[in-house]
Amino acid sequence: MITVGVFTAIYFVVFFACGMLGYIPIFMLLIPFICPFVAGIPFMLYLTKIKRFGMVTITGLICGILMLITGMSWPPIFTGLGFGLIADFILKSGNYQSSKKTITAYTVFSVWLMGMMLPLYFMRDSYFAAMVPTYGQEYVDALMSYTPTWSFFALTALTILGGFCGALIGKSVLKKHFKKAGMA
Amino acid sequence: MIELKNVSFSYSQGQKENGLHNINLTIRQGEVVLLCGESGCGKTTLTRLINGLIPNYYEGSLTGQILINDQAIHKLQIYETAKMVGSVFQNPRSQFFNVDTTSELAFGCENRGLPAEEINRRIAETVSDFKIDMLMDRSIFQLSGGEKQKIACASVSTCHPDIFVFDEPSSNLDIAAIEDLRKLIELWKSKGKTIIIAEHRLYFLRELVDRVLYMKSGRIEKEFTAKQMKMMNLAELSSMGLRPLSLESLTRDKKNVAQRWEDVYLSNFVFSYKNITPAIKIDLLTVPKGNIVAVIGHNGAGKSTFARCLCGLEKSCKGTLDLCGEICKRRDRLRRCYMVMQDVNHQLFTESVLDEILLSMGEADTAKAESILSSLDLLPMKDLHPMSLSGGQKQRVAIASAVASEKEIILFDEPTSGLDLRHMREVSDSLKQLQQMGKTLFIISHDLELILGSCTHVLHFEKGSVIDSYPLDDIGENKIMSFFIRNAQEPADNVNSLCI
Amino acid sequence: MQKELMQSKRTPSAFVLDPRTKILLVFIGSTILIAGSAGGVMNVIRPALALLPLLLFLMIGRFKTTIKFALIYAAAYLMELYLIPLTSGLIGFLIVALSGIFTRFIPGLAIGYYLVSTTTVSEFIASMERMHVPQSIVIPFAVMFRFFPTVGEESRAIGDAMRMRGIGFSVFFKNPMAMLEYRLVPMMMSTVKIGEELSAAALTRGLGSPVKRTNICKIGFGIHDIILSIVAIAAFIGFLLF
Repeated sequence: MITVGVFTAIYFVVFFACGMLGYIPIFMLLIPFICPFVAGIPFMLYLTKIKRFGMVTITGLICGILMLITGMSWPPIFTGLGFGLIADFILKSGNYQSSKKTITAYTVFSVWLMGMMLPLYFMRDSYFAAMVPTYGQEYVDALMSYTPTWSFFALTALTILGGFCGALIGKSVLKKHFKKAGMA
Repeated sequence: MIELKNVSFSYSQGQKENGLHNINLTIRQGEVVLLCGESGCGKTTLTRLINGLIPNYYEGSLTGQILINDQAIHKLQIYETAKMVGSVFQNPRSQFFNVDTTSELAFGCENRGLPAEEINRRIAETVSDFKIDMLMDRSIFQLSGGEKQKIACASVSTCHPDIFVFDEPSSNLDIAAIEDLRKLIELWKSKGKTIIIAEHRLYFLRELVDRVLYMKSGRIEKEFTAKQMKMMNLAELSSMGLRPLSLESLTRDKKNVAQRWEDVYLSNFVFSYKNITPAIKIDLLTVPKGNIVAVIGHNGAGKSTFARCLCGLEKSCKGTLDLCGEICKRRDRLRRCYMVMQDVNHQLFTESVLDEILLSMGEADTAKAESILSSLDLLPMKDLHPMSLSGGQKQRVAIASAVASEKEIILFDEPTSGLDLRHMREVSDSLKQLQQMGKTLFIISHDLELILGSCTHVLHFEKGSVIDSYPLDDIGENKIMSFFIRNAQEPADNVNSLCI
Repeated sequence: MQKELMQSKRTPSAFVLDPRTKILLVFIGSTILIAGSAGGVMNVIRPALALLPLLLFLMIGRFKTTIKFALIYAAAYLMELYLIPLTSGLIGFLIVALSGIFTRFIPGLAIGYYLVSTTTVSEFIASMERMHVPQSIVIPFAVMFRFFPTVGEESRAIGDAMRMRGIGFSVFFKNPMAMLEYRLVPMMMSTVKIGEELSAAALTRGLGSPVKRTNICKIGFGIHDIILSIVAIAAFIGFLLF
């Protein structure tokens, strides 16, 4: 239980620190890649310490709740919970020993952050409808064309890529440092 | 009553500590027992047997029986053992679970499901016993090391165990805090508790222990009564690798003579945290170059802050360093000074000892790096990961990277906290080596033995200013002895303490 | 914000809310404010909710915070109002997105900040235990809050060590991965080690016992809680209906 708390703290801090980069408009679109990529390093260490079911789920849930508290809406709670659960199942199926399964588990888990983007896409209709009176239908139409539904999937793909690369980097850092130091 | 019958243990995961072999031991109710010996002798492992961390937390193969009041605790869950045994550990920073002090005191009782009124009553009782009223309802992060350790002790105390186990509790504490710790142990002893202490620093326990167990390589080699131990002289203790029993018996190394050819001048060092009062205020300080300078003072006097300012780490600290005619402002100071920090883990970055040394060098020169390693007895470990080494070895790696950096001024923040006699002497030798290379060293320490063994000059800090600066000759020796011994007897009131 | 993210002292104040009420407000506030639906009573409810944290801060006397948030609101709102019609194309899109994010998330953030800065960790834990949240979630939460400052401390110390050893931007440009490694690995090692020592210390004080944990924190509902809960639930119902 304490392990969950410690690693969730590390993961969230690293994740959030990367997320802060996103306030620079250009980087905003890269967040789905950068955050899982960098946060992969602590998370892979975490995964080596997991021997029981449910730990990743709890981490996902806590991250979701933290997202809510920092004002980012509630869908991350469900995505955190959901993807965490899937990740836990993947880990369990490999009996907590399989290297490939750990990589898969993290990649899948990383998708939880798309929960933050959900409101931007699924509430779009009402969002844009609300803008019509202020900005005019034409403008809104143009805007809608800039954020087609497919971009949601593009970002999800980016997240998966980021998660995968992050898992690989995490694994190599594990081998280089933590295994040699006797901590993993 | 605690009994260990034919207990042997070895760690499963190849930990740095060795195991135990054939331990047979009986400790009566109310006894105060000291476990001593060199690093790695097994005293920590023995304490873990008593508080249940072995086999519940540290895995390994255990044979034999461990009984407390005829109960086989090695078969119990650790929360059961926790009702009988309370534990205080070495590092004040990593023992507290909560963020505020009051909750921390309640923690153990809350875990046992005691009703709130009972918990509050126990907290009030402990607070009055320990006289820690002004520490209540505060953030633990803002306490000093000694205060944190007091809270750790109080937190254990509210659970009302009969047995207390201490694992090197004084390692990270200064003289005044050690005196406070001694008083706590005295209090518990007077209440008839059984106390087991594994320690390097023996002097503060001299009047408290009943029995002393000297361990070596996982066995209890010798056993003394307190009386027998007090009759031993310095040479005998030294041969066993033990630190002296009293501070007064220490003398300085007279071969260490302070040379004074050139001076280093520090001027106009002013620095403050967000408060209005400056944390550091030095108008002009003259320090002899090429000396090993001890920096002493109470907790919170500003020693660590001074080191950080001198080193150039504090951005808002203005001040200049005059190094043989060269005026150094902050950025220059950053380039000319190197600091070996208190927590060595903060400054090891690479995956092998050799890489660590190469990191400090501007131009990677493997041959030179290896020669530095061999001079510090580290060559056999050059391919090992720095974090896999023992505390003493890591310290030497940090010193090696200081040497490799070729910077002229090197600062050490508590280099020997938690080190046993042999390792402390190794550090002392390394310091002298560095001095012979012409470097100027500043050592922040409350290890009197280290200071007397290697330092040639003393700076005494108080409230951010240097109140005294003297060479460590005969007069200086008296001054520094009186400072340490006075503090061992009447600790100062640390109201304004900053974190260590 | 303080180093610790959450309070550690209980600041006495006449206006005290039970942590559970605050959590309710955060939930409902976030949900409504982000959805951004149009029309009807929502045009009144949304701005009202956005102003709620300002009111809450005023009630506890934190004027500076109130003003800070008010200014941020104003900036975001003005940006939405004036900048957007002036720009077009990709930049326009980015600005719309940015200001949209700001106006949507900042009020939620404000309520969240209120929760975090007026609740001690112990109160938070106590309220979760009261709500029968299982130990396996409460304990990690507690540990996590306790570790945030530790991660910060370790990180800062390591940053200092890096500066002192001359590992700075030059390394970053030559080898960014190495920089990442230097920044993260020691912090992780240090933090994990502290975590291990903490586990040992907590276990020797009885953590993990199957007995139900008690808590000395006093929390409970008062009149303010009831009023605000009713307001929040009413707003939520309004949200659902429209």
